[in-house]
Amino acid sequence: MITTSRIVFRPVLPADYPRLYEIESDPTTAMTWRYHGNLPPFAEYEPALWKQTQQIMVVEGRTSGQVVGYLQLHDVDPRAGSGWFSLYSGPEHRGTGLVMEGLMAYCEWAFGNWPLRWLYAHSFAQNVTEFEHGMRRGEAVRLGVLRERVVVEGEPTDVHVIGISRENWMASPLRRRFNLLRARQT
Amino acid sequence: MAATAFDQFVCVCGFGGGIMNGGWRLAEASDIPFVYELVTKVDPRWWRFSRGGLEPSVLLSTAQGISAGVIVVDSVNNPVACAILADAGTMGTGMFEYYALPNPQAEALARRFAPELLAAAFAGAPIRRLYYERFENDAEVFGELSAYFEVEVTYPEFAMIDGRYESRTTSVLTLERFTESQLGAAQ
Repeated sequence: MITTSRIVFRPVLPADYPRLYEIESDPTTAMTWRYHGNLPPFAEYEPALWKQTQQIMVVEGRTSGQVVGYLQLHDVDPRAGSGWFSLYSGPEHRGTGLVMEGLMAYCEWAFGNWPLRWLYAHSFAQNVTEFEHGMRRGEAVRLGVLRERVVVEGEPTDVHVIGISRENWMASPLRRRFNLLRARQT
Repeated sequence: MAATAFDQFVCVCGFGGGIMNGGWRLAEASDIPFVYELVTKVDPRWWRFSRGGLEPSVLLSTAQGISAGVIVVDSVNNPVACAILADAGTMGTGMFEYYALPNPQAEALARRFAPELLAAAFAGAPIRRLYYERFENDAEVFGELSAYFEVEVTYPEFAMIDGRYESRTTSVLTLERFTESQLGAAQ
C-alpha cells in the first residue's frame, strides 16, 4: 500500500468490484476499453476483469474514501522482464490528477515488487495526452503508434504504445519528489 | 493446429509452388514435431512459443490456440519453414509469424514463398493491416517484400538473446502496400 496526501494506493478487494464495474460501464469510454463495448454482465465480471492479469491496484481518494480509478498489471513476460499496464479513471475524476498520482504510485510499486525492466501501455489517441507530461519529462517514452489499429464506433483509431523503463523511473526527479512527499505523510 | 483462417487461406490459393522446387501446404497436426524442432532451432526468436520455455505440452497448448498455419517444404517435401496467422479478428488486423530453419536453403525457400503466403493471408480473411514482429537479428524471410512493411513500434532491448539485449519491432503491411508490391512485381 502507498499513501500520499491525496490518495491511498492498494490491492483491489472483491468489495471494490461494483465500483470498478461502474467505472468501466461509463458510456463515454466503454467502447475504447478492453471490452470494446461488450462489457459482460456483473455476474461474469470477475473472470473477465482478471483475464491475463497478475494484479489490480485501486486508487482511493483519501478525503472521500471513494475508489477514483484503478491500474492493472497484465501480460507479464518474465523472460523479457516486461509487463503491461492499463489505467482506468472514474469519469468524474478525470482531470483531477488523482489517477495520474496513482500512476506514480503504480510505477513505484511495480518496479519495487516485480522483476520488470519495462512497463508498457496501449493508449488510444484521445487519451494519450494523459502521458504527454511524462513523455516530455522523460519518465515515459512513446515507443510507436499502431496506425488505425482498432475500429471504434466505425472509425479506425490509432493506438499509441507507451513505455516506462525501470532505469528511467528510478532516476527520475519526479520519483524523488513523489517519495519525498510520501515520506512527509508518515 | 486447428484450421480455420488458413483453411480459407489454402482454399483461395490451393497448394503453392511446384513440388519439384518446393512449395507450401496447410499445416496438420502431424507437423507439430517439426514446429517444435523449428522453435528449438531458432530459440528464443519465435517468442510466442519460446517466451515460457520449451516444455512440449506448453508448446502444444500454444499451437492449438492458433487459428491457422502453413508449412513450407523443400523439393523432397521436407518441411523447412512455418507461417502462422494469429489474432485475426473483427478489427481487420492479424499477426503473421514466419520462421525458417536457420540455414541458407530454408531461408531462401521462405523468402521465395513469402509473397504467396501473404497473398493467401489477405485473400483468406478480411485483413486490412497485417502485423509482423521480429527481433533485430532475426533472419530475413520476406526478401524484397520487407521494404513494403513499415515499422510502427520499437521495443528497445526487449529480451536477452545469446548474452545481449535485442530490440523488437512491430511492423505492418497494409493491404494497399501489399497490392502495390504485387503490381510492382508483375511489371
